[in-house]
Amino acid sequence: MSNRMPGSDGERPVIRERCGYRSPDGPVRLLTMLAVFGAILVTTAYSEPADRLVVYSGRAERLIKPVLDVFQAKTGIHIDLLSSGTTELVNRLQAEGVRTPADLFLTNDAGSLERARELGLLRPLPMREIERAVPAQFRAPDNSWVGLSGRFWIVAYNTTLVKPEEVKSILDLADPRWKDKVAIPNAGSEYLQAGVSVIKAVHGEERTRQFLQGLKTNAGTQVYGKSSQIVEAVAKGQVAVGLVNHYYIYRHLATQPQAPIAALMPDQSEGAMGAIMNVAGIGVVRHTRHLDSAKLLVEFLVSQAGQKMFADLDKEYPLHPEVKADPALPERRSFRAAMVPLARLAELREPTMALIEQVGLR
Amino acid sequence: MICAPLMYIVYLALSADSSVWSRLWNTRIPELLFNTVSLAVSVSAGTFVLGVSLAWLVVRYNFLGRQVWEWALVLPLAMPTYVLAYVYTYLLGAGGPVEQAWQIWAGPEGRVFSPHSYAGATLVMTLDTFPFVYLLTRAALLNFNLSYEEVARVCGASRLRRMLTVTLPLLRPAIVAGLSLVILYVVSDFGAVSLLRFQTFTYAVYQQITGRYDQTAAGVLSLLLVLFALIFLVIERWFRERSRFYQTTGRYRVPARKPCGPLGTGLITLYMVVVFGIAFGLPALLLIHWSVSAVAEGAVDVRFLGFMRNSVFLSGLAATFALLIGTPLAYLASRWPSRLNVLCLQAAYAGYVLPGPVGALALLVLFSHLAPFWYGTAVVLIVAYIVHFLPAGLQTMEPALQQVTPNLEEAARSLGLGPVRTFRETTLPLVQGGFVAAWVLMFLQCMKELPATLLLRPVGFDTLAVRVWLEASEEYYKLAAPSALLIVIMTLPALLLLVSKDWRAA
Repeated sequence: MSNRMPGSDGERPVIRERCGYRSPDGPVRLLTMLAVFGAILVTTAYSEPADRLVVYSGRAERLIKPVLDVFQAKTGIHIDLLSSGTTELVNRLQAEGVRTPADLFLTNDAGSLERARELGLLRPLPMREIERAVPAQFRAPDNSWVGLSGRFWIVAYNTTLVKPEEVKSILDLADPRWKDKVAIPNAGSEYLQAGVSVIKAVHGEERTRQFLQGLKTNAGTQVYGKSSQIVEAVAKGQVAVGLVNHYYIYRHLATQPQAPIAALMPDQSEGAMGAIMNVAGIGVVRHTRHLDSAKLLVEFLVSQAGQKMFADLDKEYPLHPEVKADPALPERRSFRAAMVPLARLAELREPTMALIEQVGLR
Repeated sequence: MICAPLMYIVYLALSADSSVWSRLWNTRIPELLFNTVSLAVSVSAGTFVLGVSLAWLVVRYNFLGRQVWEWALVLPLAMPTYVLAYVYTYLLGAGGPVEQAWQIWAGPEGRVFSPHSYAGATLVMTLDTFPFVYLLTRAALLNFNLSYEEVARVCGASRLRRMLTVTLPLLRPAIVAGLSLVILYVVSDFGAVSLLRFQTFTYAVYQQITGRYDQTAAGVLSLLLVLFALIFLVIERWFRERSRFYQTTGRYRVPARKPCGPLGTGLITLYMVVVFGIAFGLPALLLIHWSVSAVAEGAVDVRFLGFMRNSVFLSGLAATFALLIGTPLAYLASRWPSRLNVLCLQAAYAGYVLPGPVGALALLVLFSHLAPFWYGTAVVLIVAYIVHFLPAGLQTMEPALQQVTPNLEEAARSLGLGPVRTFRETTLPLVQGGFVAAWVLMFLQCMKELPATLLLRPVGFDTLAVRVWLEASEEYYKLAAPSALLIVIMTLPALLLLVSKDWRAA
């Protein structure tokens, strides 16, 4: 412990440490060695073998790593995964430009992929395999990005607190009767941004603003960073309803079948908007140095086997017309999706962000 | 190099459109300001009570196991805030063990307060940071000149009066220093508030960086955060200048410790057990329990070795370079305190007011413009670490250098050694202890660092901290545990080494 007194500072420690004198070269040599060692590691870390792919992923690692592992086992191509936020990764790709180490970009939102395409970050892929497997509305016209699985932004409700007929439309959640009973994702969430874009395209700005204001009041502090946390909160009855992607509910039910939570497909009545759809997708980065391997991965993911695995792992809807969804999910044909083209999500995004910020969602 | 990030943030914020400012002002800023300030205030209050009372008991009383507690109370520092936060989201969360226990007593409708709240954030941050106050107060109490108290006693002052008018004011500098560490920690913390979803400036900056294409709003919030920290630092300096106390004699009696009866010992032990238990013991046990079951389920594989290597490698390199950069700065400023040299040293302290996400934001942009070749490599991350943690290292290096009297160096020079050999053979051996402490300190903080690592890590460079966060933020408690436990274990020996050398090190 420090026992240094004013006045006695100079001498005592000197004497003490003099006794413990060691070769002065020790620390110097150690430091130099560390520095050299570090420099070597930094440089070697970036000499990459050819059979390696770097995937920037905006999806939860748990949900895609198993599929990528299968691909790795099958082809021997090693995959390095950088899991992070989707938007953050778009920013990163843009900043890295031609020097990017990334070969592929995998996200949870078509709007972000389209944005990356507009920024010239992705590479068109004229591949028959893609065109055969994925319907045109789920990919970019030039296949710069390809949808891999469909998800719906819907209402999760606690079955002991809410009856399903209490909610008809997502817009109902802005009603004062849901005060302090709604959980929503934060404003940085790509699902929320895409969802609000669709609502705005269908219902117009004013109606959307009212909706967001109501939603903000009703949610209060129940603003979450992750959809899995919203589902958790609904299942535990901390809140009555929450806005999430459908698969989080089914994933929760798969591990805890007794949980009092269920999915509600909103806006299905005659003439209503339809459920808000988005896709998770992938694009090959324009400046990839491993185009052939990258194409192999895309091919694998759109193949029937890949589609089945990719969608089932996460309880999403496969986009390949011949691949069936997990039996736990409602039949895809039993409900309607909103008619807003996915590619428009990108252009709708900035005005949506402005609106979200004006309203002041966190 | 170190000031560039700060200047960039100022530039970014000032170049922002006024509509961005007004929008943020109308929506986010009041809430963030209120939350940040109130969290800082409540955590200060909590750490003050815990830190001072524990230090007082440990120094002034003699009870069974005193020496053990003296050490044990420092251990919470080994627990990164985000680890404690995630343990408490489990413990206090809906349906968690605390609620279940409470419901046995209060019936099935009983609820405990949510960890995702002001109270939760206060609890976690207090438990994690009270050792700062404890350590500094304890050091001050050990150096305390008892004569003042005795004089007061002779003059007939009551116990309470002595405490309030003599002891506490004399301890004030130490307490204030401890609290200011706490406040800086709270203001720049990202891990705990993000897991507890408590909106503070630092968290909001991170959300802006990760959620927006346009970074000006992040810049605006960053500037405010920097200003906030700066104002606080200035106030703290001013306060410290004003309340400088000198003890007049060079030698003290070791303060006598009051022996305690069995009842006193029991009460004190209970208090210590409770504080230590909730701040370190219980979380550590839970981590071990989770880790064991994660290993049993086969969730721990070779990849962990890689994460560990990344953590050690990045932190070691950053600490080493920070030491190499800090040495000339501190040396020049203490030997030739010219205006330029002192200015350089002061500038290095800028990192103090650049919380992780802010520094990361600035470095991302700076590197992409100025040194694009390094963008996305470990270099950026290491620079971020250096900028952020050099101040902490300098605080340990400076006093070490100042204690070496220039006479010794002059003697060496007059005996014919060149400047380099003088430094190597005279100065270095003398400051070795302080420098090792500085290295260890910076190494520890890099190991625990989260936001900058998340934003800047290169491909394939996930560290233990990143793994904890990735798993814990999805509420995979078990899977996050092995990494968290590893951080704690790797931090412990270094922490004990530091505390045994010098309190500042903590």
